[in-house]
Amino acid sequence: METKDQKKHRKKNSGPKAEKKKKRHLQDLQLGDEEDARKRNPKAFAVQSAVRMARSFHRTQDLKTKKHHIPVVDRTPLEPPPIVVVVMGPPKVGKSTLIQCLIRNFTRQKLTEIRGPVTIVSGKKRRLTIIECGCDINMMIDLAKVADLVLMLIDASFGFEMETFEFLNICQVHGFPKIMGVLTHLDSFKHNKQLKKTKKRLKHRFWTEVYPGAKLFYLSGMVHGEYQNQEIHNLGRFITVMKFRPLTWQTSHPYILADRMEDLTNPEDVRTNTKCDRKVSLYGYLRGAHLKNKSQVHIPGVGDFAVSDVSFLPDPCALPEQQKKRCLNEKEKLVYAPLSGVGGVLYDKDAVYVDLGGSHGFQEEVRPTHELVQSLISTHSTIDAKMASSRVTLFSDSKPLGSEDIDNQGQWMPKEEKQVDLKTGRVRRKAIFGDEEEDESGDSDDEDDEDMSEGDRLENSSSDDETEEGQDAEVTDKQYMSDQGIKRQKLEMEEDFEVDLPAFADSDDDLERSSVEEEAEEADESSEEEDSIAEEERDILESKAVREGGKPELLQTDDSSDSLNVEKSLTKKKATFTTLDSGHCTAEEAFASEDEPEGNSSLSTEEEDSENEEAIRKKFPKPSQVVSSQKLGSGNLIDETSDIEDLLKEEENYKEENNYSTETSGALKWKEDLSRKAAEAFLRQQQTTPNLRKLIYGTVTEDNEEEDGDNGEELGGLFRVSQPASECKHKADSLDCSRFHVEAPHDWDLEEVMNSIRDCFVTGKWEEDKDAAKILAEDEELYGDFEDLETGDVHRGKPGPDTQIEDVEEEVKEEIDPSAEESAKKKHLDKKRKLKEMFDAEYDEGESTYFDDLKGEMQKQAQLNRAEFEDQDDEARVQYEGFRPGMYVRIEIENVPCEFVLNFDPHYPIILGGLGNSEGNVGYVQMRLKKHRWYKKILKSRDPIIFSVGWRRFQTIPLYYIEDHNGRQRLLKYTPQHMHCGASFWGPITPQGTGFLAVQSVSGNMPDFRIAATGVVLDLDKSIKIVKKLKLTGFPYKIFKNTSFIKGMFNSALEVAKFEGAVIRTVSGIRGQIKKALRAPEGAFRATFEDKLLMSDIVFMRTWYPVSVPAFYNPVTSLLKPVGEKDTWSGMRTTGQLRLAHGIKLKANKDSLYKPIVRQKKHFNSLHIPKALQKALPFKSKPKTQAKAGKTPKDRVRPAVIREPHERKILALLDALSTVHSEKMKKAKEQRHLHNKEHFKMKQKEEEEKLKRQKDLRKKLYRIQGQKERRNQKSSLKGPEEQLK
Amino acid sequence: MKPCTMERNLVTVRKASVDFEASFIRLLDKVTNGSRIEINQTGTTLYYQPGLLYGGSMEHDCSVLRSIGYYLESLLCLAPFMKHPLRIVLRGVTNDQVDPSVDVLKATALPLLKQFGIDGESFELKVVRRGMPPGGGGEVFFSCPVRKILKPIQLIDPGKIKRIRGMAYSVRVSPQMANRIVDSARSILNKFIPDIYIYTDHMKGINSGKSPGFGLSLVAETTNGTFLSAELASNPQGQGAAMLPEDLGRNCARLLLEEIYRGGCVDSTNQSLALLLMTLGQQDVSKVLLGPLSPYTIEFLRHLKTFFQIMFKIETKPCGEELKGGDKVLMTCVGIGFSNLSKTLK
Repeated sequence: METKDQKKHRKKNSGPKAEKKKKRHLQDLQLGDEEDARKRNPKAFAVQSAVRMARSFHRTQDLKTKKHHIPVVDRTPLEPPPIVVVVMGPPKVGKSTLIQCLIRNFTRQKLTEIRGPVTIVSGKKRRLTIIECGCDINMMIDLAKVADLVLMLIDASFGFEMETFEFLNICQVHGFPKIMGVLTHLDSFKHNKQLKKTKKRLKHRFWTEVYPGAKLFYLSGMVHGEYQNQEIHNLGRFITVMKFRPLTWQTSHPYILADRMEDLTNPEDVRTNTKCDRKVSLYGYLRGAHLKNKSQVHIPGVGDFAVSDVSFLPDPCALPEQQKKRCLNEKEKLVYAPLSGVGGVLYDKDAVYVDLGGSHGFQEEVRPTHELVQSLISTHSTIDAKMASSRVTLFSDSKPLGSEDIDNQGQWMPKEEKQVDLKTGRVRRKAIFGDEEEDESGDSDDEDDEDMSEGDRLENSSSDDETEEGQDAEVTDKQYMSDQGIKRQKLEMEEDFEVDLPAFADSDDDLERSSVEEEAEEADESSEEEDSIAEEERDILESKAVREGGKPELLQTDDSSDSLNVEKSLTKKKATFTTLDSGHCTAEEAFASEDEPEGNSSLSTEEEDSENEEAIRKKFPKPSQVVSSQKLGSGNLIDETSDIEDLLKEEENYKEENNYSTETSGALKWKEDLSRKAAEAFLRQQQTTPNLRKLIYGTVTEDNEEEDGDNGEELGGLFRVSQPASECKHKADSLDCSRFHVEAPHDWDLEEVMNSIRDCFVTGKWEEDKDAAKILAEDEELYGDFEDLETGDVHRGKPGPDTQIEDVEEEVKEEIDPSAEESAKKKHLDKKRKLKEMFDAEYDEGESTYFDDLKGEMQKQAQLNRAEFEDQDDEARVQYEGFRPGMYVRIEIENVPCEFVLNFDPHYPIILGGLGNSEGNVGYVQMRLKKHRWYKKILKSRDPIIFSVGWRRFQTIPLYYIEDHNGRQRLLKYTPQHMHCGASFWGPITPQGTGFLAVQSVSGNMPDFRIAATGVVLDLDKSIKIVKKLKLTGFPYKIFKNTSFIKGMFNSALEVAKFEGAVIRTVSGIRGQIKKALRAPEGAFRATFEDKLLMSDIVFMRTWYPVSVPAFYNPVTSLLKPVGEKDTWSGMRTTGQLRLAHGIKLKANKDSLYKPIVRQKKHFNSLHIPKALQKALPFKSKPKTQAKAGKTPKDRVRPAVIREPHERKILALLDALSTVHSEKMKKAKEQRHLHNKEHFKMKQKEEEEKLKRQKDLRKKLYRIQGQKERRNQKSSLKGPEEQLK
Repeated sequence: MKPCTMERNLVTVRKASVDFEASFIRLLDKVTNGSRIEINQTGTTLYYQPGLLYGGSMEHDCSVLRSIGYYLESLLCLAPFMKHPLRIVLRGVTNDQVDPSVDVLKATALPLLKQFGIDGESFELKVVRRGMPPGGGGEVFFSCPVRKILKPIQLIDPGKIKRIRGMAYSVRVSPQMANRIVDSARSILNKFIPDIYIYTDHMKGINSGKSPGFGLSLVAETTNGTFLSAELASNPQGQGAAMLPEDLGRNCARLLLEEIYRGGCVDSTNQSLALLLMTLGQQDVSKVLLGPLSPYTIEFLRHLKTFFQIMFKIETKPCGEELKGGDKVLMTCVGIGFSNLSKTLK
C-alpha cells in the first residue's frame, strides 16, 4: 500500500508561542532578556544621577498614590438589593427594545409592555432592576440619583443628542454611577469605512465625557425587530460582572425604587370626598442605608412624608438558594414587575396573591368541585381527629401538649376578656410557640372572627367584593362562594394546620356551615361580642376592597362559582408557607424566646400575648380574608395559649405588679415604678439582667403605641417629651443628675469584698493569654523547638525530661484515642499560626503605611458590622439596625395628595428617598455654583430657579454672591460668566458636600441645553451674611480750611452718631472722616479732609447693607400632574417672564439713558508770566524774546547766476564727461577688487601647498629622526646585553 | 432636631429649679443660632425649636444652684458638632455634691471623647478658679474642636487598673485639709495598688471663689485607657454637719472601689455620653462594655429611642469566676449616620 505523504509539522515562526520558544532558547544560551541583561551588566544599569533617581522615584510614588481612594467602610449587605440599571436615551433610539431583549436574554420570557421597573435574577449572586428613562428632565434627575448602572443609548446614525449630555451632567452632579454607552442604529450605515469613522468619533467623544476607556457597546442591527442575540448576551454578561464603587449619597441614605403602589384609603372617605388625602403603601427593595421606622422620606415629585409603617416582606424575586452549580435553572430565572403585571406572586403584609394565569384557570375550570371533593375524600381522618391528635411542644424540653390538655383549660380565658376593650377595640390574640412566630397573623385574624357573632361574620366575610361594587352587605352564602371565585387568591395559612386543611371550602356549603357554627359556639363561650369589632372588620374589608379596586388589572373576577380550584391552591401552598407573614411578630417575642430562661418566661409570654394583641390591633386596616376552616384551628390555638398561661402562672412572684402594669395601663407603662424597678434591677442583677432590655425600652409594642401618640402630636408640630402621667412625672421632675449614687455600699474592709475586685488591678491575676509569665513560657516553648518547613528538619530545643515524657505519652495517647491526636494536631497548628503571625508582623513592619492601616481598620469595621447581627433573626435585627438594604419592604404613607393616586403613571419612577436626621428642616443653604458653560444665558439673582439637591427637586429664589478677600459676601446681580460664585437660598438642609444642579424650567419645551448651573453645598445656617454695596452721598455747604460741613448724607443726628469716625471720600479722591453731627440742618455733620474741598465736590461714604434671602421653597410636584402632562410642571415665573406675558414694558430711569454728549469748546488764555518771575527764572526756562528768523539782509543775499547758452552747453558737456569718468572709475575699481580677490585666493593656495610640502617634509624628517632614535634606543638596550654576552 | 414642648406641673416647680434651668436655656441660646425658645407666663411650658449649633468664643455665668458640671455635660455632647470650635468660659460652682465636678469630667469625659476621634491641642478643660457652693465664684475654660463625623468605638476590654490619680482640693480652709484627705484615701487604696498619687490643690485669693470647702476626686486608669472616677465634696458652708477630711477621704476611696466594682469601659457618670456619641456615629457597629446602667442612663436610652429610633442591643456579661467586680453590660448599636451639619465646607 502506498503510504500517503502526510504534511509534515511545521514549526511556528511567529506568534506568541514561537516567541516564548525563542525566549526559552535564548535563556538557555544565557543571553536572556532585559532582566538577565541587568544581571549580566550591572554597571549599565547603575545609578547615573541621584537627582534623576529621586525624581523617578517621586513620580512612581505620585502615580501610586493617585490611584488611592479614601477607604470607606464597605457596608454592602450580604444579600444586596438588585442593581438598578437605568436605560436612558433620546426617543426612538431603542430603549424598550433593549430592555425587552435583556429580559428575554436573562429569563427567557418575553414581556410585551414594560411599565415601571422590572426586577430579574441575572445570575447566582446578582439581580437587576431595569428601568427605562425617557427625556423628561424630572425623570432623568430622579433616576440619576438611584442608578447603579446607566445604559446610555446613542443613535449612531444621528450622533449625540442633548439629552445624553444633559443626563451625563446630571449623573456627574449626583455621584456618577457606572455608565456604559450603547450605540444603536448601526445598520443604517452603508459604507464600512464611514461606520468605522463614526464609531471612532463617537467613542472618543464619549470618553471625554465619561472617562477614557469607558465601555461602549455596539449593537449592530436588528433581526426581526430585536437586537442580535449574541450581542445582547455579551451586554448581559458585562452587566452581570460589573463592579460598582459606592456612591456617597446613595450609601448614606436609604432609598427605595418603588415597584408597586397600593391605595389603602378608606373607600368611604374617598366616596364622600374624592379629593381627600390618601393613604398608600409602596413596595420595593430597600437600598443604600438602613431605614428606620417612622423616619422621614422624600418622594421626588410629590413631597416630604413621614413613614407611618414599614414592614419587610419575603423576597418576591429571590436569589437561588444553593450556589453549587454554575448556572441558573429555568425556575430560578425569576422576573418581577408588578407594575407591568408580571410576577406570579404578589406579597402583601399578611397575604400572598398568586396569579394563577389565564390558561391554567381555564383548564381547571372543568371540574373543580370534583377535585375539591376528591381532596376532601383523600383526607383519611377528620379535622377534629387530627386536631385531637396534634401536639405542640412549647419549649424544647417540655412535655408536648395535646388537645386534651387544652380542653381542660379551654373555657377559661379571663385575659382575653380584659383586652377587648382597649381604644382600638380590635381583639387579637397570639399563640406563642417557642420557635415560630408566623402563626400570629392567621391567628389574630381568627380571633376577630371568633369574637364575632356568626351573622356578623358571614356578612363581613362575604362583603369583601361586594363593597367594591358598592352593594348592600346582605348576601347569601351562595354569593359568598361565588365571590371566592377570584383567580387571584389571597391565601392565609397557618403552619400547623395547612397540612390538614384545604384552603377554601367554597363549594361545600355544609362544610362551611358546620365549621362556622362550631366556631360560633366557641365564640359564645368566650363571650366576647362587640359592635366595634364588627365595624372595624368592615373597615378592613373595605380598605382591602379598595386596594383591589386600585389595581383592577390584577383582579379578574369571575362570577362563575367554580373558577376556583382547591388543588391549585394547594400546589401554591409551598409559596404561602414561606411567605406567612411575620409582620406582626415583634422582636420582643423573638427575644423572649431567646433570652429568657424557661422559669422566667411566664411573664414574658403573657406580656407578649397582650402586647402582640395590642400591636395587631394597631395595625389597623389589616386586610384579612377569612378562611373559615382555619378558624376552628385557631380557636384551639387560643386555648393553648391560655393553657400556657395557666400552667406557668404559679411562677410569677415578684414580677406580678410589673406584669399588671404592662397589662392594664396605657402608653407609658414602663415609666411606672421606675425607681423601684431600677433598684430591683441593680440590686438583684442576676435575676433581672435578662430583662434589662424590657426594663429600658418597655415592650416594643408599647413603644409603638407611644410613638403613635407622639405622631399625632407631631402633626401639630410638637414633640412630646414628658407626659404628666400619674407617677412618672415625679421621675421627670426629679433632679436630673448623671451621677450614679451607690445605694447599697459594700463593706470594703472585709477581705472577701476586697477580693472581689482584686483582678481589676494590674497586681491581680491576669487572663491566660495575657499573663506575662505564661506568654514567656509559651514563647520559650515556641522557640525551643521548631520545624523547618522547607527541609522538613525538626530542630529540637534542649528537651527537658518532662517534655520527653510528654512526647512519649502523647505517642501512646495517639495510639489510644483519636481525640488526643486531634488536640495535638490543633496544638501544632496553633503553633504554626503563631509563628506565621509573628513573621507577618515582623515582615509588615516596614511596609505598612498609613493608608494600609486605614484600609485595614475599615475592613475590620466592615467585618464587625456584618458579624454583629448575623445570627439574629430579621425581626430582632430590624429593631436594632433598622431595615437593612436588600430587604423587600412595604412602606405605608399617609396624607398623600390624591393626585398621586389619581394621576398615577407607572412609567414614572417613584422613589422614596430616606432623609437623614434634620434633613427635613429648612434653613439657609450656601453653595458654590458655576453657570454651566453650555447654558446660553447667565443667571440673575432673585430669579426663581429649580434646584436638584439631595433627593429633592424644588424651586427657590437664590441670591448670588462672591466672597471678597476679607471674607465679605458681596451680592452679585448676575452669575459670572466663567467663574464660580456663591449662591444662597432658603430651602431644605442638605449635608455639605452634596452636589446639585439647577435648571430654569422643567417643562419640556426648552430648545437648548437645559442645565443652567452646577455646584456643591458648602454651608448650612439659620442666618445669612450677604451684603450689597450702598453709597451715601452728601454735599459740602460750608468749607473752612480742611474742615467742611456736609449735608444731605443723613437724615438725623442719631444716624450721624452711628457713623462717627467713618471714612468718607470725595469723587476727586480727597479722603476724610466724619467728626460730629451739627445741630442744623438735620443730618448735617462736620468732617475733616486731607485737603480743602470745593463747593462742587460730592462727598460719599461706602457702606454695606445686609440683604435678605426670600424664604421661598416650592417642591416640584411633577408626579401630581395628570398622566401625559407630567413634564409640564411650571412654578413661579420670573419677573421677566411675567412682564413678557403681561406686556409690561420696563420703565427706564431717564438718568440712566445714554444721551449724546455735548461739550463746549474750551478757550484757553495765553500764558502770562509776571515780569518779576521772568527775571528769577533760569535762562533755560526764561521766555526767549528772540526775534523770529526774518529775511536775510540784502547785502548777504547772493545774486543768482544766469548762464549764457554757450556756457550752459559747456556745463552740460562737463557734466556728461564727469559722469562717464566716474562710471569708468567705478568699473575699474570693481575689476581691481575682483583681481585682488583672485590673487588672494591664488596666494592662499600657494601658501597651503607650501605648508603641505613643509609638513610632508617635516614628517619625513621626523620619521627618520624617530627611526634613528629607536635604533639608538635599541642599541642602548642591547648594549648591556651585548656587553653581558 | 424637631421642635419640642416640655410641660410640667405647676405644683412641683420651685423657684430654684427654674433658676438654673433658665441659665441652661440661656446657655443653649448662646451656643446656637436660630433657636426659638418660648416659655409661657406661668413658667410651666417650654417650647424649644432647636437652631444650628454655632459655637465660637463666649462666656456664660452659670447658676450657683448647680455646679458647672451640669452645664458642661451637655456642652460635651454638643461641642463636637458646632460650626466653629467652641471656646467658652463658664463661671459658677466648680465642685459640689450633686453633679460631676469639673475635675472628674476632665479626667474621664475628655479621654472618652478622644476615643471618638475628638482630639487636638485645642481640646482642653481648665479650672481657672475654684468655686464651692453656695457662693460659687469658680471659673472654667472649655474648648473643643469640631468634627464632621465620629469614629465608631469598640470598647470591650477595660483592661486592668495600672494607676490611681487624684486631686484633693481645698479653698478658703486650711491647706492642711488636703493633706489629711490624701493620707486617709491612700490608706484604703494602698491595699490594692501601689501606684497612687493624689495631688493637693490649694487655691488662694481670687482663685479660691467665694465659699470655703474641700473635697477629693479620684481617678483610676487602666491599661486600656479606661478611666473610672469617684469624688466627694464637703458640705456647703452653713448646710449640714461639718465633715472630717479623713472621713471624706476614706469614703471617697470606698466610692472609687465601688466604681471599680461596677467596672466597665466607661465611668458611670459618662455612660450616657458614650451612648449618645455611639448613636451619633456612622452606620457602623459600636460596642461598649458598661457597668450596671444608672437610672439616668436608662432614661437617656429611652430618649435616644424616641429621638433617633435607635435601640441598643443589651447583653449581660456575668462576672463568673474572675474577681472583677459585678456584672457588666455590653451595649451594641449601629450609629444613625449623623454628620455635623453645621461645619462649613471650604
